[in-house]
Amino acid sequence: MSEVGYIALIVGIVVSAYAVFALVIGGWKGYPELLASGKNAALAVAGLVVLGSAILFYSLLVHDFSLTYVYDYTSSDLSPLYTISAFWAGQEGSLLFWALLLSIFIFIVSWQFRERQKELMPYVLAIMTGLAGFFIAMSTLVTNVFAKEATVPTQGYGLNPLLQNPGMMFHPPTLYLGYVGVTVPFAFGIAALITGRLNDKWIRDTRSWILLAWFFLTLGNIIGGQWAYTELGWGGYWAWDPVENSSLMPWLTLTAFMHSVMIQQRRGMFKVWNIALIVITFGLSLFGTYLVRSGVLSSVHSFAPSSLGTYFMLLIIGVVILSVILVVDRFPMLRGESDFGSVVSRESSFLLNNLVLAGSAFAVFWGTVYPLIAQALQGKTVSVDATFFNTFNGPIFLVLVVLMGVCPLIAWQKASADKLLRKIGFPAVVGVVAGVVAYVLGAREIYAATIPIMACGFVAATLLYEFGRGVWANSRRLGTANLLRAAGNMVARNKPRYGGYLVHMGIILLVVGVIGSTTYKVEKDVTLSKGQTTTIGGYTLKYEGLSQVQTTANEAYEAKVVVYNQAGQQIDTMLPKKEMYQNQDQPYTEVAIRSTLSEDLYLILGGWDTNGASATFKVLINPLIMWIWIGGVVLSLGALISMWPGRQEARRLESRFARELAARKEAPRQPALSES
Amino acid sequence: MKENAMEQAQGLNRPGRSRAGKNQGLLSSRNAKFFAGGAIVVLALAVLLYSSMQGSTVYYLTVSELKAKSTAGAAEDVRVAGKAVDGTIKWDAATQTANFEVADQNGDKMPVIYKGIVPDTFKGGADVVVEGKLDSQGVFQAHTLLSKCPSKYEPAQ
Repeated sequence: MSEVGYIALIVGIVVSAYAVFALVIGGWKGYPELLASGKNAALAVAGLVVLGSAILFYSLLVHDFSLTYVYDYTSSDLSPLYTISAFWAGQEGSLLFWALLLSIFIFIVSWQFRERQKELMPYVLAIMTGLAGFFIAMSTLVTNVFAKEATVPTQGYGLNPLLQNPGMMFHPPTLYLGYVGVTVPFAFGIAALITGRLNDKWIRDTRSWILLAWFFLTLGNIIGGQWAYTELGWGGYWAWDPVENSSLMPWLTLTAFMHSVMIQQRRGMFKVWNIALIVITFGLSLFGTYLVRSGVLSSVHSFAPSSLGTYFMLLIIGVVILSVILVVDRFPMLRGESDFGSVVSRESSFLLNNLVLAGSAFAVFWGTVYPLIAQALQGKTVSVDATFFNTFNGPIFLVLVVLMGVCPLIAWQKASADKLLRKIGFPAVVGVVAGVVAYVLGAREIYAATIPIMACGFVAATLLYEFGRGVWANSRRLGTANLLRAAGNMVARNKPRYGGYLVHMGIILLVVGVIGSTTYKVEKDVTLSKGQTTTIGGYTLKYEGLSQVQTTANEAYEAKVVVYNQAGQQIDTMLPKKEMYQNQDQPYTEVAIRSTLSEDLYLILGGWDTNGASATFKVLINPLIMWIWIGGVVLSLGALISMWPGRQEARRLESRFARELAARKEAPRQPALSES
Repeated sequence: MKENAMEQAQGLNRPGRSRAGKNQGLLSSRNAKFFAGGAIVVLALAVLLYSSMQGSTVYYLTVSELKAKSTAGAAEDVRVAGKAVDGTIKWDAATQTANFEVADQNGDKMPVIYKGIVPDTFKGGADVVVEGKLDSQGVFQAHTLLSKCPSKYEPAQ
């Protein structure tokens, strides 16, 4: 059975090479037959990858331990869901998983564009199929997902306990969906360069892909943080680890891209910048895989080093060189169609947003690779600690937050300062009030808390105010007193805009969570004898003893800790554990978390004395951390609303943008025809 | 404004560039303002990057390098990388203190005292990084202990 899978993938590599050749030559010279055969070949590659993947899924589910991959990552007592998740738990499988997602996207894209974008499609498919070929080769020729064991073991090695967590089931697939999703706008961008069709058509047609990639990338990062928080047991969710950074960097550049393409749509500007951003985003998503797989940097995700890194580096270099050559060659066609409006305009705020996001991405990149540079130049082992990333990104994120509030208030092209000042009054007052209230309540750290909270209050007020104003106007327009109906109608008529507002609201909630949990974190290490208590924040904790309990692990020890509030009432019982697994020569900490909207009480069992007469704990209070996860849900909803297809609406906006752009070309000094 | 006028004049002299001034891209005075603003932002970012780097990079030393520096009692924190020596780890639950030895590749060893909860991956033979100071008795007083299993997510072969 597994032989079939292996052969399917090997055939896939050969066919993908043919597909690239046929599509490029066919598209370039205009041979319809070659083109048609290239398209079929691309679909065949996608089909072969699906077949190979299905066979790996099947081998995992039937526990075919003759396959090294199945033996390495599963055991027969592993639950079916985690058995499926083992597909992307290991190196070989995650490479195939990447190819699988790419193949599914090849199917969707060829169906979606069966009638449209006829000039671009050959190159788009060639790029996607070529990449699929690369990933198949990585998962079969460089490492082999279908490698066999010399003798068939009766039992598997088992999945790493850290990966047996719901977060780990969803974190890699969401992140990969994001990475692979970036491939689609990247392929269209390159195809637009090759064909010279450099208006904003490729951006409009891939809008839903851009949003989809952003949605999954965002979700992947947040779920990763959640996993680290509940499973890694050190009390935090983000440590500026190289692997975390490598998934944040493409997020930052993709966020910049999402905003700057709006300028290209509205004003026909920033064409080179947009191409550059999508190439960089794609390059960074490959770079993340390179960092993880090459073992060049030390990280919590220490995978065994392998030669894969070299191939990824070559691919990245190839992508960059190809893109630079194309951009240089097409440079005259990439001229802006209009120029900036007044200094106070939506464009200028987007420009600032882009510079700041790109700056942040660069700083994260610099901090991540600096140890490599220092090693190469000075021969010394250096590490860049979290203070660098926090010091740099603190002010950056503050600027971004403020921009989220200012941006909706500024008109395109030419906004008058007067008008802005009039509109900004109410939100600004709300922001100041929020800051003062926070200060009175105890958020006295001016730079780390008071000012950021002020900014958050300002943005939240802007968004609510703009939303409320829109609802009010729409209820007048519809002649209805039912504000709910007016709101629903308004959102449905302009989903990108109001979905975007909701995304920004989610970000604000997330930022509030980050401020609370970084600035006001309290922690304490304590050893308690049976019956002894300790106090932290408003809680009193009493250790009541240790017992051996039954879990999925071989041996598990659980401490019983009773939690009392300030009034002395018992409010909870927490049970932090340490587990020992077969085949794993280290214990695993299972933390206990008591979550409320205002704070999390986080309890780690460190160790114990003979028989548990006394036990050592690390106790943390993480204020407002729940708002990070709530913010994540809110922004996901916003992104969904924003990308929900609406044909009529899309056409309406499209024709309006085109009209506006045309009108501005005629009379570029005129103020905007209508405001956003 | 003078620049703009010159631009326009030049543009008019060149055939095929009738829309000069409006579409001069990089150099029209209107856009120049934005490029100046952009340059200021980029400069500010560079300054921020530089200042954030100060004090945020820490060199790793090996045990022998630390001994060669021999600045026992120095005020500055150092970070030492090595292996926790098998069989030397003693954990005192009452004071939450771990006593152990760290050795480098040359076999140079030093005693370490770490106060706090040890990570799950910490055991004899594990790669560790300790951060702290060497005291006057030659004992390394660590306030941070990082530990890494050589193969965390990959099965032992």
